[in-house]
Amino acid sequence: MPQRKDEYYEELAKIINLCQSIRTKGEDPFLIDIPQKLQLLRKLLPKWKLIEELLMDAEAMKELSLMVKLQSDWIKRKASGLFIDPFLIRAKISLMGKKELASAFLSSWHPIVSLEQLTSKKLEEALDYWRALIPLSQRLKELEEVRKIEESTLSISDLMKLKFLSDRTFEEELLRMKEELKNLKEPIDYWKFVVKEDYESTILRAYILSFIISEGYVDLMFNPIEERILILPSSASKKKTPRSFPIAVNYEKWMEKKNERRG
Amino acid sequence: MNEEVKISRKLRRAALLLLFQHHRLPGAKGWELRKALGKDYMKIIKLLNRRLEELGLEIKIVHESGSEEYTEEDFDRARFYVVCKSPAIEELSGWRIDSLAVLAASIAYIISKQGRVNRSEVEELLREKFPDWKIEYDLNNFIRRGYLSEDDSGNLYIGWRTRAEIDKKTLLEIIAGYFPSEENQKL
Repeated sequence: MPQRKDEYYEELAKIINLCQSIRTKGEDPFLIDIPQKLQLLRKLLPKWKLIEELLMDAEAMKELSLMVKLQSDWIKRKASGLFIDPFLIRAKISLMGKKELASAFLSSWHPIVSLEQLTSKKLEEALDYWRALIPLSQRLKELEEVRKIEESTLSISDLMKLKFLSDRTFEEELLRMKEELKNLKEPIDYWKFVVKEDYESTILRAYILSFIISEGYVDLMFNPIEERILILPSSASKKKTPRSFPIAVNYEKWMEKKNERRG
Repeated sequence: MNEEVKISRKLRRAALLLLFQHHRLPGAKGWELRKALGKDYMKIIKLLNRRLEELGLEIKIVHESGSEEYTEEDFDRARFYVVCKSPAIEELSGWRIDSLAVLAASIAYIISKQGRVNRSEVEELLREKFPDWKIEYDLNNFIRRGYLSEDDSGNLYIGWRTRAEIDKKTLLEIIAGYFPSEENQKL
C-alpha cells in the first residue's frame, strides 16, 4: 500500500497504463488481478479531494471495467471452440503455401448472395434530381457564403468591439470579483456565487470567474456525490495538472438556479 | 385473403428484401423484416430457408454479440443474409489465389488473437510470403470490402462480411490441423 499522495497517484497511473497496454496489444486480459486492483481503488477513494483526482480514479475504474469485458469475451471465445494458440496458427501459416491457404479459405467461405438493382422509379427520381441540381460553380459560391458566417468563439477584444465590454469595465469587474473572493475561507457553491437577478450579469460573472479560475486565484471542485460545483480558496502550494471543466450557463439554467435560490 | 396466398406473398417479399441490396450493406435487419412481414416473421424466414436450401442457399443470421440464447430484441437487431450453403468453389471468388491466401492468413491470425491485432503484426506475418506493396494493397482492399476493419489506433478486426460469410471454426481447424505433405517438405 503506498504511503504518500504522489505514490497513490502513481498507483492509479499504473493501473490505467497496464489496462491500456493489454487492450492495445491484445494481450491476455487475465494478466491483471482485478479484485486486488478494485480493493486498492476502494482504499484510495477517501483520499481523493480534487476534481482531477476523482477524474483519474474514474478513469482507472473505467479501464478495469473494460478489462472485465475483455475477460468475458475471452471466456466466451474459449467456450465457443474458437480458442487457439496464436503461436500455433502463426507457425502453421508459415508452413502453408499460398495454394493451401487459399484452399482453406474457400473451404470455409459461404459468400453472400446479393444483387444490386435499378428500378424505373429510382431512375425517374434520379432524373428529377439531375434536373433540379444547380451547377457546381453556383453551389460552391453559395457554400462559400455560408462558410463566411460560421460559428466562432468571441475573444475579449471582440466583445469590446461589439461594445458588450469596455476595456475599463472588464478590468474593473475582474478586480471587483477578486476582491469579493479575497476573503474566501470556506468552499462556496458556484451557482450561488455566479447567479444574479438579471441574466446579463450572471453571464458576465460566469465569464469573469472563468478567467479568475484560469489564473489560479481560486480553485474549482466538482463533488460527484452531491453533484455540486464548489469554488475553493486557491491552494498555491500544490502542483496540479490544469484541466478544463466546461460549465454551461444558459437562460434555462439561470432561471432554474434563480428559482432554487428563491425557493 | 386465402392463408396460402398470404404466406406466398410474404415469402416473395422476404426473398426480395434479402436478395436485393437496398442499403449500404446487403441483407436486411430483423426489425425491417418484422415491419414488412409481421411479428411472426421468423416463421416466414424458416419457410424461405427451406425453399432456398433446394437451390444450395441458406439464410444466415448474424447477431451483434455472441450469446447462448437470443431474445426477440436480439433478432430485431441481427442482420439476415442469404449465403451459399456449401463452401464456394474457386471460380466463384474472382480473386487471385495469393489474395485469398492473404485474407485466410489475416483472418485466422486475428481470430487466434481474440479478434484484434495490430496491423503491423499482421503485416509482419504476411511479409514472410508476400512483398510489401501486395500486403498493403490487399489489406486495404479487404478493409474496403468489409472482410476486415481497422480502427484509428491501427488495430485490425474481423469485418462484418467475414462474420457473415466465413465459417471461422472450419478455417481455424484446417489451418491448425495442417501438416506438410512429403511432397511439400521436399520443396
